[in-house]
Amino acid sequence: MRLFVRAVALVAAALVVAYGFFVLDQEQQVEWLGVVAVAFFLLVLALWPSFPAGGGNSFERSLTRTASVVFAVFVLVSVQLVHLQVVDADEIGSRTMPTAEGTVMDPRQAIVSARVARGRILAAGGEPIADTVINPDGTWRREYGDPAATYLAGFYSPLAYGLSGLEQTYNAYLRGEEGGNPFTEWLDGILHRERRGYDLELSIDLDLQRRAHELLGDQSGAVVLMDAKTGAVLAMAGSPTYDPARLYTNAGPDSDAQIQAAEAYWAELTQPGSSALLTRPTQGLYAPGSVFKTVTAAAAIETGVAAPDTVYRDEGALTVDGRVIPEENRPDPNRVSYTLDEAYAWSLNVVYAQVGLQLGAERLKQYATRFGFEQEIPFDLPVAVSQISQDEGFLNNRAALADTAFGQGQLFVTPLQMALVADAVANGGEMMRPYLVQRVSTYDGKTLQTRSPEVWKRAISEDTAAVLRDMMVHSVQNGWASDAAIPGYLVGGKTGTAEAGGGEPHGWFIGFAGKQEPEYVVAVIVEHGGVGGTSALPIGREMLRAALERSGE
Amino acid sequence: MLAALRRFRFTEFQLLVVPSLMAIVGLLTIFLTRTGTVEWTWRDIWVSLAYVAMLIGISAWLSISGFKGDQVLFPIVAMLAGLGLLMTQRLQPVLEARGAAWARLPERQLIYLAMGLVLFWGMMTFVRQLDWLRRYKYTWAFAGVLLMVITFMFGQEINGARQWLDLGIVTIQPDEIVKLILVVFLAAYLDDHRAAINTVWRVGPLNLPPIPYLLPMVLMWLIAVGTVVLQNNLGSALLFFGIFLVMLYVATGRTLYVVVGSASFAAAVYVAYQLFGRIADRVQNWINPWVDPWGTGLQPIQSDYAMAAGGLFGTGLGHGYPQFIPVVETDYIFAVIGEELGLLGTIGVLCLYLLLIGRGYLIALRAEDGFARLLATGLTTIIALQTLIIVGGVVRLIPLTGVTLPFISAGGSSLLANFIIVALLLRTSDPEWRRG
Repeated sequence: MRLFVRAVALVAAALVVAYGFFVLDQEQQVEWLGVVAVAFFLLVLALWPSFPAGGGNSFERSLTRTASVVFAVFVLVSVQLVHLQVVDADEIGSRTMPTAEGTVMDPRQAIVSARVARGRILAAGGEPIADTVINPDGTWRREYGDPAATYLAGFYSPLAYGLSGLEQTYNAYLRGEEGGNPFTEWLDGILHRERRGYDLELSIDLDLQRRAHELLGDQSGAVVLMDAKTGAVLAMAGSPTYDPARLYTNAGPDSDAQIQAAEAYWAELTQPGSSALLTRPTQGLYAPGSVFKTVTAAAAIETGVAAPDTVYRDEGALTVDGRVIPEENRPDPNRVSYTLDEAYAWSLNVVYAQVGLQLGAERLKQYATRFGFEQEIPFDLPVAVSQISQDEGFLNNRAALADTAFGQGQLFVTPLQMALVADAVANGGEMMRPYLVQRVSTYDGKTLQTRSPEVWKRAISEDTAAVLRDMMVHSVQNGWASDAAIPGYLVGGKTGTAEAGGGEPHGWFIGFAGKQEPEYVVAVIVEHGGVGGTSALPIGREMLRAALERSGE
Repeated sequence: MLAALRRFRFTEFQLLVVPSLMAIVGLLTIFLTRTGTVEWTWRDIWVSLAYVAMLIGISAWLSISGFKGDQVLFPIVAMLAGLGLLMTQRLQPVLEARGAAWARLPERQLIYLAMGLVLFWGMMTFVRQLDWLRRYKYTWAFAGVLLMVITFMFGQEINGARQWLDLGIVTIQPDEIVKLILVVFLAAYLDDHRAAINTVWRVGPLNLPPIPYLLPMVLMWLIAVGTVVLQNNLGSALLFFGIFLVMLYVATGRTLYVVVGSASFAAAVYVAYQLFGRIADRVQNWINPWVDPWGTGLQPIQSDYAMAAGGLFGTGLGHGYPQFIPVVETDYIFAVIGEELGLLGTIGVLCLYLLLIGRGYLIALRAEDGFARLLATGLTTIIALQTLIIVGGVVRLIPLTGVTLPFISAGGSSLLANFIIVALLLRTSDPEWRRG
């Protein structure tokens, strides 16, 4: 019995500590102290010495008890050391706080980062996006390439604002601490050997990336172009954006000037209303509008609720629980019956509202989740999570469910998420895991790691994907997306126009193209660009065309 | 000849290999890191060689003089003091950069260490029994109180705490002596009046603790704690209080004393928290040093950074940046260990203290004489509490209060006092004295 109590107390103490390690934030000191106090009492309970009746004199008993308490405290100090030195070490080391007297930060970061020549970040083919130049005195500095892609690298500002983008997610690689042979890396660290960071080669095609920026022009928005079969991101553009060269700081004779310049630029970037620091393709959240009908259609077809030739009535408006859904997209106002396939091509809200109501909240949610909603997409840059609804139980309202089914409601999605929806359709139901970094190599070009394409997850069956593929192709052949056609190629697409709370609506386009099989997928959003067919669609078509021409087909 | 061999302290001698190697290899590492070469001569590490020679000399002398006490204690202490030696040598360039007044600190620390070892040897050689400690307990108590009063009246204030006494040639910290006196007095008094203290004092219908017998101790304790609080030295106050509580509990076995004592201490701390701004600062630094990152929070923030930079394996001796932590050589020496020796180093050091403490309590358990038991308990408790108070403060489990990390922090008085503790513990472990 006694032994059982001890074992339970010990396990409980371990669990409480694990909770403190992995759930609590580094900043929650009071909560953490509470965890330590609870663990202390459990540990004392587990260790409390017991004596057989009459065994030991009073002195022996009380001294042994004192010793057990002292031991428990030592154990907890060790737990705190594990916490500080291992579990939360990265968080503690990278914690900074800007103040009037300058930024509080770990001075080691700057010293160490100045000493190890950082790896380069290269576009596909080797053109540098973020270059490393070795100064005559052996120190190094970053130089930046074409501004159309540099923000994907992120900023490197250890003396002022820390790191972002790939500079942050691949910091250990760029410092040469991870990515090669773990043993020699560890040995190099222990022995304080000179080392150079590893280079990253991205899948970004600089011509396509530049083209994306040209097409966006001065409009706000985002473009994601992916290889449908591999998940390699060939272009990923967001506008407006920022220039990491102007935030760059590094230890050296120029560091004071760099910090000053960075501070001035930072103030500009963080002004209210400015969102240039946001990486729109992965972190921008927008209402999807009609492009979401792809998900609704997928759910309906796969669950057998409807087939492409199922006929629906659309009389120009639908009333759901008192809410009137107007229909503005019918090609012919006198025609009232449409198949599911036609309704997709002509983007009929009234039809998809009915499909949504047939599906019900649970199945719609389930399919959105299968397409990656409500999950963090595994990617090389930080991503925002696309959401089906904001409020718990929102979809239980029938009007809300109808709205969601044709892409309004409380849906918020990232352009990357919508590119993956197109990829699921183009790639036989499987979404590839998207990636930017395709190769890691040493500074003299020796390849350390190459990315091999991976399936992220299956969204729908192969059969459903084939049906949807035809629907998207029909939408281009005879529907609102007809301008997306590229002579000589198979093109599928879907436009969207999303109400954006004041001002012009956001224009959307998702699509795919290829010789016989879909080879590339694209997702485009133009913020407040108006109707998707005229704002986003031309950009998407030109990106697909450029990608197809690039591969010489 | 055979008899001499039989009393040779083999265990101790073998265990000394570890601290010896650590001192030599460690100092060599520090030296080579600083110069950035692989060139060295034996002269560059003479300090460690001298240290090793002293360790072996003392162990040999203990064998020759036929001492039969504990063989593990001295190697543990040699390890800790050796680490302290390495740390002060490591910090030399940091201290030099701070100015001429600091530049001589490592050198002074070497002299203190040598003095500590000589004092240890002297006590092991000339102090054969400890009855005189018990006999003159009231004299000790009186001397202790006098020392506190003198410090309070003529003491020197450094860093806001009045706890140093300038004797012309050297500056001493009387607290270090008073903590020893407190243990000796409590051990003697509690042992003499054990029977009386375990009785119940009846006042009419009430059963009270034997207050008349507790009074002298409480008085002595009150004076000590009162003075250190007035001196604004909270670390020592906490230490004295802890010693008092542990010894009272161990001597009587009554949990009631612990409960009442802790409650009254908590109340006193709360009052002090309301009265003194210094304590409020410390509490704030404990909960969230980021409130004042350039002022009072600078030390704890930099210490956290150093600890985190160390990681599992540490940066290696000489490869860290202790210069970023203000006043690193005393309160925050543990953070340097954390950075340069990593988690393995810090847990290793804690294990050494735990071994030392465990050994000390074992000596107390084995002692047959009541005074010896309480003395060993008290002396070991000094080490235990001091370690936990300072390490707990550095890792921010409790508010930081300034006490030294035994054998490792810079500071002469503390080092000498700690060697006295070890000498007394070893003497207590001597089976011959135990019987006599």
